[in-house]
Amino acid sequence: MEMLLFLMAFPALIAALLVLIRNNAARNVIVIAGGAVTAIASIACVCMNLGCGLVLFDCESAFADTLCTAVSCICVVVVLAFAVKYKNVIAGVLGLVQLAVVLFVEFAFAHEMDVPQGLYLDSLTLMMVFIIGVIGSGICIYAIGYMEDFQAHEPEGAKDRRPQFFALMFIFLSAMFVIVFSNNMAWMFTGWEVTTLCSFLLIGYTKTEEAIANAFRQIIMNLAGGIAFILALYVCATSVGTFSLDEFIRAGVANPSLVLLPVVLLAFAGITKAAQMPFQTWLLGAMVAPTPTSALLHSSTMVKAGVFLLVKLAPCFLVSPVPSVMVMLVGGVTFLLCSFMAISQTNAKRVLAYSTIANLGLITACAGVGTPEAVWAAMFLILFHAIAKSLLFLCVGTAEHHIGSRDIEDMDLLFERMPRLARLMMLGIMGMFIAPFGMLIAKWATLVSFIEVGQVALIVILAFGSAATFMFWAKWLGKLAGIAGEPQNVELKVHGSEWFSVMLMAMLLVACCVLLPVISMAVAEPYITSVFGLPGQDISSGNLWIASICVCITVIALFTGLGRSKKKKVDVYLSGVLRDDGTRAFQDSLSGESVATARNWYMEDVFGEARIAPVGVVFNSILMACAVVMALCGMTLI
Amino acid sequence: MAYSGKSPWVIHYDGSSCNGCDIEVLATLCPGFDGERFGVVNTGNPKHADIFLVTGSVNEQNIDVVKQIYEQMVEPKVVVACGICACSGGIFHDCYNVIGGVDQAIPVDVYAPGCAVRPETLIDAIVAGVAALDEKAEALARAKKERG
Amino acid sequence: MVSLDLLTLIIATIAFAVLAPVAGCLLAGVDRIISARMQGRVGPPLLQPYYDVRKLFEKERVTVNGVQDAYVICALIFAVIAGGIFFSGGNLLFVVFVITLSSLFFIIAAYSSRSPYAEVGAARETVQVMAYEPMVLLFAVAFYMATALILPASGDIWQGGTFNVGAIFSLDVPVIIYAWPAFLGLMFILTIKLRKSPFDLSMSHHAHQEIVRGMTTEMSGSTLGLVEILHWCENVLFLGWVGIFFVWGGPLSLALGILVALLAYFFEILIDNNFARVKWQFMLKSAWAVAFVLGGINIVVLAML
Repeated sequence: MEMLLFLMAFPALIAALLVLIRNNAARNVIVIAGGAVTAIASIACVCMNLGCGLVLFDCESAFADTLCTAVSCICVVVVLAFAVKYKNVIAGVLGLVQLAVVLFVEFAFAHEMDVPQGLYLDSLTLMMVFIIGVIGSGICIYAIGYMEDFQAHEPEGAKDRRPQFFALMFIFLSAMFVIVFSNNMAWMFTGWEVTTLCSFLLIGYTKTEEAIANAFRQIIMNLAGGIAFILALYVCATSVGTFSLDEFIRAGVANPSLVLLPVVLLAFAGITKAAQMPFQTWLLGAMVAPTPTSALLHSSTMVKAGVFLLVKLAPCFLVSPVPSVMVMLVGGVTFLLCSFMAISQTNAKRVLAYSTIANLGLITACAGVGTPEAVWAAMFLILFHAIAKSLLFLCVGTAEHHIGSRDIEDMDLLFERMPRLARLMMLGIMGMFIAPFGMLIAKWATLVSFIEVGQVALIVILAFGSAATFMFWAKWLGKLAGIAGEPQNVELKVHGSEWFSVMLMAMLLVACCVLLPVISMAVAEPYITSVFGLPGQDISSGNLWIASICVCITVIALFTGLGRSKKKKVDVYLSGVLRDDGTRAFQDSLSGESVATARNWYMEDVFGEARIAPVGVVFNSILMACAVVMALCGMTLI
Repeated sequence: MAYSGKSPWVIHYDGSSCNGCDIEVLATLCPGFDGERFGVVNTGNPKHADIFLVTGSVNEQNIDVVKQIYEQMVEPKVVVACGICACSGGIFHDCYNVIGGVDQAIPVDVYAPGCAVRPETLIDAIVAGVAALDEKAEALARAKKERG
Repeated sequence: MVSLDLLTLIIATIAFAVLAPVAGCLLAGVDRIISARMQGRVGPPLLQPYYDVRKLFEKERVTVNGVQDAYVICALIFAVIAGGIFFSGGNLLFVVFVITLSSLFFIIAAYSSRSPYAEVGAARETVQVMAYEPMVLLFAVAFYMATALILPASGDIWQGGTFNVGAIFSLDVPVIIYAWPAFLGLMFILTIKLRKSPFDLSMSHHAHQEIVRGMTTEMSGSTLGLVEILHWCENVLFLGWVGIFFVWGGPLSLALGILVALLAYFFEILIDNNFARVKWQFMLKSAWAVAFVLGGINIVVLAML
């Protein structure tokens, strides 16, 4: 248990140090040391408890309860202060509502709600610890170099807000640890609110008009989710009489109608946090923030908190059709439509954002299905998405600083301009969508689990969504792979800290893909057995090992096989007289010089946002409204 | 055994012909004469072609194009001048802009005269070209062996 | 257990690597003769595709960049592995995923040349993959659900279906009985996968195209030879997909499967010679509509049975 407390407290401590110490060199040291210690502690925590079932820890403290309530209130107060400063009415109203409910729940129930075992550990939590501790810390270390460049790109005399930035990153990690360790849902709620506030502040970091507007969009949506969470606690207190997550889930499995409303509300909270349609806009807006923020939000924290909660609730969904259908369809529709919309995007970070939302949709759908096999798939989707997506974000961030653009069309010839980075980016992209990498193995398991429960709608959604996924990744990959002339290598000035983190993610990706069968045995299986009492894995380990071998072949080809051809080099064919092979210039019909250029397809008129987004927003809003109404009716009938 | 001659893929370029020869070149590949009996395929891409069929004479405007297509073809390769204009400039030989036959730009292996060149002549020319192709392929293989 | 699986796979992969090019080459030769006859010509000798590839390997070794060959070799390796998994009776979904990986490598090979023609071809190929992928996945799902209906009848304890191709030999009736809509859908997208007109947008087999030769524009000599072999292997694999609809535990069913696969191939040649190339919009819409209607209805019905 000491380990748990350490992991929750240590990053917060580092954050406090970072606020106090404003010297650049000292900060770098603290960030590296803090990140390293957090990562090592996380790995130690995972190793020591590998394969464990549910372990509850006796931890009850009135002080902690009060502290949590205080922190929750402070979060809301900070939001209110910003709402007043920037005159945002909706955020203000939602903040006030939340404050009222928090205080009401605190004074009405909290003291009667004893949760003797406030902390817990199981294999899902272990996986999250790994993701938060290792990937999260990696991103923090990456941010050292990135933010140095970022500050250099800022106008002269701009205020250096990096101390706050790094402090917020570390608080984020702390809050995430609180979420995954807390059995006491009131504590979990505190962690939930802190992540909301941190991402609010991180998104608004640049303080430009756009950043502030997007930050408020984020806070409005997540405050709504937070209110749903706290209302769920209220209903839970009145109907089940406990704040213990474990008891709540067991009550939910034993008596689904009793917990119908809180489950729907918690699912709603998870859906807002996981940026499912109709709430996808906050995550897209979050792209204005510096890239490490995006990486953190997308891969290891924030959105993962949302799907973590949903996966935890999976056993309840399995026995309760209303929330199950809601979560399944919201996730499925989000996956399909966001995959479509990703095709129409040229901005690399927006493509990544849509792909994140789509994959979270898939995880959400898996959680909604709730069978052991679906949960197995969801766990691996979470893991591989976290690794591959952070790798991609970090690569895009570095590329952005060195080629001056985050537009995919500008990543032309990156294979020669930034040879190492381009290969790593290609690895990340392949890790996101193609067999034999883990993400696709997880999708495969997802498909099988959908088939087993006969969810025809989800099967069809997955079939079409995957096809769209192929399209948008493949064309990006193609853009990176292009080779022409001998452009200057611009990656020599990339910071060491950036290389370190990028390489870390790449190695994690390869290692996790190759060791997928082992991870399945050591992490996924114990969790599923502890929750459902039976193992659930759809893909035979023989096939998993074959996939591992294929991963090795691909990685070897990507990093050693390329560029070794001894053949004679010749110019490309341009139907006529070539003037310059490097620029693809040719002699045109007027004997002048023209340059052949090719842009990728974005099919704006077929897959454009304006055309597709409203469909998902309307459909999912109606769906969730129906689910809430049905849950309310169900509640009153009892 | 050399396989080059069994699979002569052609590329067809119209220099400045009156289109008479071009029609005949395509007719060679059509049902009536069926060049594919000998494995002839019209590729339209110098990088895939073994035999370069040029119709019409070479002039100031197209000489670079002819040279470049020839350069971009991969060894072993053979050039067939199709029609009298391609062979020598034909009736256009003293035009102000005409340089002459194809051999003014690139080495020609087979001359197939005619105005317009007959498909039978073309098939004969391609068969002759195939022999040249085999020879060149053998030379290439020998050179490769000697080198290493 | 795992090592045994792996051993079977390795043997099957090697066997596929040897036999599939032979079969694929003969199929390609037959294709060219039949096409010629349909056009009123005599056509080349049966072994013409073999001569072509041998010739390509005799050509001088040139390339536009140092990486294209590596991508093409990867594409070939994974196509062979996919074939090995399929013909050793392995998991059908896995086959689908690995062959998609192979297509991806081929697409990157085309993109890497950065020739405008190859690039347009590669972009079209991604659209082609997007067009056929849903139907391919739904075909695999329909296969699974159909075996789920048939398998218990054969007295097996296993209650669910299976993706294992090898299981077809223990079926009482062929899969086609329950999955004929998926079969029709597969036939439709097979035209895209076999690169036959009207869906040969990214690269055509014969003659000119507005984008020269699309994806293979910059591939010459031995690289192009490997691409040809890749297509032979793919064709054999795809015809295998057609065949498994008709194979069951009964005698001579394997012969029936092969016969139907050959008929399907003939049908594709017929289509190839009778239709002009369409635009991508039509291809995407029609392929998705077919997948949605035929594939969707098939699995809905199977889920209800």
